[in-house]
Amino acid sequence: MNYAIFLEQIINGLIIGSMYALIGSGIALIYGTMRVLNLAHGEFYMLGGYFVFFLVVTYGVPSYLAIPIAIFATFILGALIQRLTIHYLLPREGWAFSTIAATLGLSIFLQNAALLLFGEQFQSVPYYLSGIVEFAGIRLPVQRLLIFGVALLTIAIMTYVLKRTRLGWAIRATSQDRDAAAVVGIPAQRIYLITFGIAAALGAIAAAMLAPIYAINPWSGMPILLKGFVVVILGGLGSFPGAIAGGLILGVVEAVGVQLTSSEWRDVIAFTLMIGVIWWRPWGLFGKKPS
Amino acid sequence: MFQPLKPHQWALMAAVILVMMVIPMITRDSYLLHVLILAMIFGIFASAWNLVTGFAGLKTFGHHAFFGIGAYASALISINAGLSPWITIWIAALAATIAGLFIGLPILRIKSMPHVAIVTLGFAEIVRIVISNLQSITRGELGLWGIPAFTDFTLPGIGKVVFTPADKLPYYYLVLVLLIASVVVVTLLMRSKTGLSMVAMRDAEDAAESLGVNLTKQKLLVFGVSAFLVGLAGAFYAHYIGILTPSAAVGIDLMILIIAMVLVGGLGTLSGPLIGALILTVTIELLRDLDNYRLLVYGAIIILIVMFLPKGLATLGPLVAKRFTSRSQ
Repeated sequence: MNYAIFLEQIINGLIIGSMYALIGSGIALIYGTMRVLNLAHGEFYMLGGYFVFFLVVTYGVPSYLAIPIAIFATFILGALIQRLTIHYLLPREGWAFSTIAATLGLSIFLQNAALLLFGEQFQSVPYYLSGIVEFAGIRLPVQRLLIFGVALLTIAIMTYVLKRTRLGWAIRATSQDRDAAAVVGIPAQRIYLITFGIAAALGAIAAAMLAPIYAINPWSGMPILLKGFVVVILGGLGSFPGAIAGGLILGVVEAVGVQLTSSEWRDVIAFTLMIGVIWWRPWGLFGKKPS
Repeated sequence: MFQPLKPHQWALMAAVILVMMVIPMITRDSYLLHVLILAMIFGIFASAWNLVTGFAGLKTFGHHAFFGIGAYASALISINAGLSPWITIWIAALAATIAGLFIGLPILRIKSMPHVAIVTLGFAEIVRIVISNLQSITRGELGLWGIPAFTDFTLPGIGKVVFTPADKLPYYYLVLVLLIASVVVVTLLMRSKTGLSMVAMRDAEDAAESLGVNLTKQKLLVFGVSAFLVGLAGAFYAHYIGILTPSAAVGIDLMILIIAMVLVGGLGTLSGPLIGALILTVTIELLRDLDNYRLLVYGAIIILIVMFLPKGLATLGPLVAKRFTSRSQ
């Protein structure tokens, strides 16, 4: 096999993996703070993609303006959905199952609402940046470098927010012990709302960056949700750094796997990896074995 | 659930079975029979999923994998090996059971509900993609057709029973028998010691374990039985419908349908899945014009039931009865 092409595929895997990391970290944030597995997370990605598409293609808004607007809109949508559904389910008995079931219903509802409203044709957004960089025989479109750059920036900002701001302390405190956090005056309900919004926004960032590469369509949420699940299983469910590492690992494993087989087996490789990890280390590659 | 049935409950069950048996004698309308056949296939599927999710408390979301394995295994074996569907449906159900035990094993190690949900979803997705990719065997999304119908046989006193697409009657009675058998299996299982320990396990896993309930064995048993029944339903579906595509027979939409049915009827009740399967299948057929909105409606139903009627319709009955009796006192 050509060495340069192989390396190029690995780098592409890392780039796509950085987007998986954003999706996975959204799922991990929600699970980490409120122990809710959000099956509608893929729909934030799907709707975020449509927001970008309508703003950029239909209304001709410049992409550097359109993307922040789309991300903010998805943040609002995420918070709204949390307030209207999860908020009422969490205090009830059997919330662990009812939240999974409700978000699954929500996922299928939003998917089909998008189908009715936006139609079934596949949409795409033009490249934000053109041009190709060549380095040591490896060719990379600038667009892909942009994706990776945005991912790194997002991860840096999120890490800063979680570690250095009052909001981040509140989120981490709530995820460690909800009751103790409430005792010291952290409003858990507001933290949940904001966390859901942030997670949705992370999905929208991934959607905005992948919109020029992958087609936007009503069904694009479910596959990306399942990828996000693989990521959080690899990284340990509920761990933000674990999700980042898990995303990059998944991207590289897929890239190598596709080189060895063919692209139609990509998802089978991802899910087999996930089931293997669950057999071997259910607490994730980096998590600690619960005692 | 574990009390012996009261006389009026026995009477109700007998009446329901009688009505189901008599319907084809009153009307031979093939469309009506078709809808009822579908409702019964879904009824088997829903009861089996409820066995795992409602009774044993293993919240799985990937049972459509077993339906697909059952359907494709029976279809492919009967096409390629020339065996009668009467034999292949059992082989297919066993294949689904083996797959169920295979995926049941990693689930046993995990107590976290989200992990179980993710693993089962991922497993079903693997099954769907594999079936869809192996086009030389399954024809992928083009659809596997030419699936043989059940072979004819002669019933003493009634005559020759012929399975053709034109006559729904033999299929109707066959699936009715399968449905009754499935419900009997689920009921007996729940009334046995296994059933008791399963409910104990669902309600307080650690406590059950400390009292000597063998979790591993019970979970595997339940998962195996459930996969067997779903596989059987899938196999019957294959020979009844006559054409299979991965999205129709292993798609997540199918699982969502079943979840909606069980939630509407009442999770963790014996009659709930059956009531839900009947109501939703018939309602959706009545609203045929709304075909484009079908999944939208299912999604909305799941959300609304979870939010406003978490115990489903089956629990409304006793509630109403209670209010009625307390008033008359």
